[in-house]
Amino acid sequence: MAAILRDNSPIGQAESAGEIIVKAEGLAKYFDVSAPWLNRVLERSGRQILHAVDGVSFKIRHGETLSLVGESGCGKSTVARLLVGLYTPTRGRVEFFGRDLAEMNTAAGRSLRQKLQMIFQDPYASLNPRWRVEDIIAEPLIAHGLMSDKVKITARVDELLHQVKLSPADRQKYPHQFSGGQRQRLSIARALATKPEFLVCDEPTSALDVSVQAQVLNLMKDLQRELGLTYLFISHNLAVVHHISDRVGVMYLGKVVELATRQLIFSAPRHPYTRMLLDAIPDLEMTGRSRTPVAGEVPNPLNPPSGCTFHPRCPHANARCRSEVPALHVVRQADGIAEVACHAVEEGRI
Amino acid sequence: MVEPLLDVRNLRIEFPTRRGALVAVDDVSLSIAPGEVLGVVGESGAGKSLTGAAIIGLLEPPGRIAAGAIKLAGLRIDNLPYDDMRKIRGREIGAIFQDPLTSLNPLYTVGQQLIETITTHLNMSAAAARTRAIELLESTGIPAAERRIDHYPHQFSGGMRQRVVIALALAAQPKLVIADEPTTALDVSIQAQIISLLKKLCRDHGTAVMLVTHDMGVIAETADRVAVMYAGRIAEIGPVADVIHRPQHPYTAGLMGSIPSMVEDVERLMQIDGAMPRLTAIPSGCAFHPRCTRAIDRCKRERPDLMPAGTSQAACWLHDTNSLGRAA
Repeated sequence: MAAILRDNSPIGQAESAGEIIVKAEGLAKYFDVSAPWLNRVLERSGRQILHAVDGVSFKIRHGETLSLVGESGCGKSTVARLLVGLYTPTRGRVEFFGRDLAEMNTAAGRSLRQKLQMIFQDPYASLNPRWRVEDIIAEPLIAHGLMSDKVKITARVDELLHQVKLSPADRQKYPHQFSGGQRQRLSIARALATKPEFLVCDEPTSALDVSVQAQVLNLMKDLQRELGLTYLFISHNLAVVHHISDRVGVMYLGKVVELATRQLIFSAPRHPYTRMLLDAIPDLEMTGRSRTPVAGEVPNPLNPPSGCTFHPRCPHANARCRSEVPALHVVRQADGIAEVACHAVEEGRI
Repeated sequence: MVEPLLDVRNLRIEFPTRRGALVAVDDVSLSIAPGEVLGVVGESGAGKSLTGAAIIGLLEPPGRIAAGAIKLAGLRIDNLPYDDMRKIRGREIGAIFQDPLTSLNPLYTVGQQLIETITTHLNMSAAAARTRAIELLESTGIPAAERRIDHYPHQFSGGMRQRVVIALALAAQPKLVIADEPTTALDVSIQAQIISLLKKLCRDHGTAVMLVTHDMGVIAETADRVAVMYAGRIAEIGPVADVIHRPQHPYTAGLMGSIPSMVEDVERLMQIDGAMPRLTAIPSGCAFHPRCTRAIDRCKRERPDLMPAGTSQAACWLHDTNSLGRAA
């Protein structure tokens, strides 16, 4: 019934003018990756702290898709896990519908938890191989005490399978009987079971072949329109991000270095790292064309460079970049506003 | 016409099982000219990596070549004894695999592995081989090569390791390199560096490359010709720009349409419904017909061979001259 009601809700609300439903403020997560105590004593080494996410702030409005892109180790998946409460932040906070996510584990906060769900990268590891599809999809309903009547649960599972374009006959099967793309649909069905408002999707298509990836991306866009979902989409694939996002945040070594609408990021990137990333993507249009690859690699996050962490690879770096950490600041452009963390952009050097 | 360096004719790879043989690669023919880069694309399970493995003689049992012939510079190499094939592998054909960590031995320094390869295949003293190894590392863009040569693989980052693997593959100056997903495990910025390095080194030495990947972007940028594989067969083969911009096989067209573009805005991606068939249930006729929107009756009954289609060749009845009217 509720699903029918949702269908009647005005689709126009899915515009960026919607209310802010997720707000991350100065979010940070540090991991202690020190050697065991005895080794530290014998080798006279200190503790080692990995700053996986270091001061990330953003807002997501109802019905929009915010994507976080970056190379491996930039902290994008850690942000995803912080947002659903799989990690507790070292600093900062996440607000969800104006309430602090830290309340989520209290009895009163349980209703909050139903409203956000996650889709994981690996469709093989994220489904229990010993459970039937109906048990997997019904699990969130039972765990949250939303339904206890078997007939109702079966009806809801069928409805969910239909939503992700699988057949109700698949209810009795086990995960191994499905292909990668179908398994990712099962993950989506499970995530939708509690009628969430907000889905965190951590690389949902990177384990899939391109033709299957297209199926899953189309399905995700359809569901967003039908159900008015809000997505945080994590990916390293810029083409996929271009296809699915409304706004894009580019991350580098635990920080957001540029945050802007999709159009701005792809047509007028400002941060040197964003430019480098866009330049590095092989594109179908580039047949036979050679491009200038960017030198250097992502530095070791255990020992990040001083100042702006991108400075060793940046062609515009100067003394200030090497000593002072840049903060996100607003850059007004002809067709919109971008937030960029770069001294060179701020000073008008580039 | 230059004589092809590599000539694969009607290659068929089978995996014997209790319920009969599974045919993983079926009737694949392709050739690579000296210095040419042939891209082989396809989704998982299309048989592209197996084709590469068969060429370097590294097909893992119980997989076996059931029919066909592989010729390298006119010499048949698919039926050589193990020891003879070892001399060809590394000397005539180099290999680069997806995971740079597993393709290097973690117990030996990078230098020991390079020197071993060089002294095995080329008549060189150990000292000369070391000098050559340092040169190789330098040519792949590894900084401070004289020092790095004595480091172990774990001391290198992923991108640097892949450079070492490229140095190893090119150590004996082979005529052909089989690169199986060389950049898949790497980040995009590193991927760009490795691709341009591979392109440059192979151009400098006139090495031919068979580049196996699922990433059309990498192929578009690197390859001269491309073969698109589907369910163990070549669906289309032709010059890279033609295959990408004017695909002749419905599968290629669907594949190109399902890649999200960074230039155009589309609300929905073109999608090919269904998935690649399992080896146990390859459909009759053209294996693509259950997913094909343009399938005709004949596709269900008869299996199409490669036939001329524009500047490419496509295995699709739509290009059969007898039913030309339908294709247009």
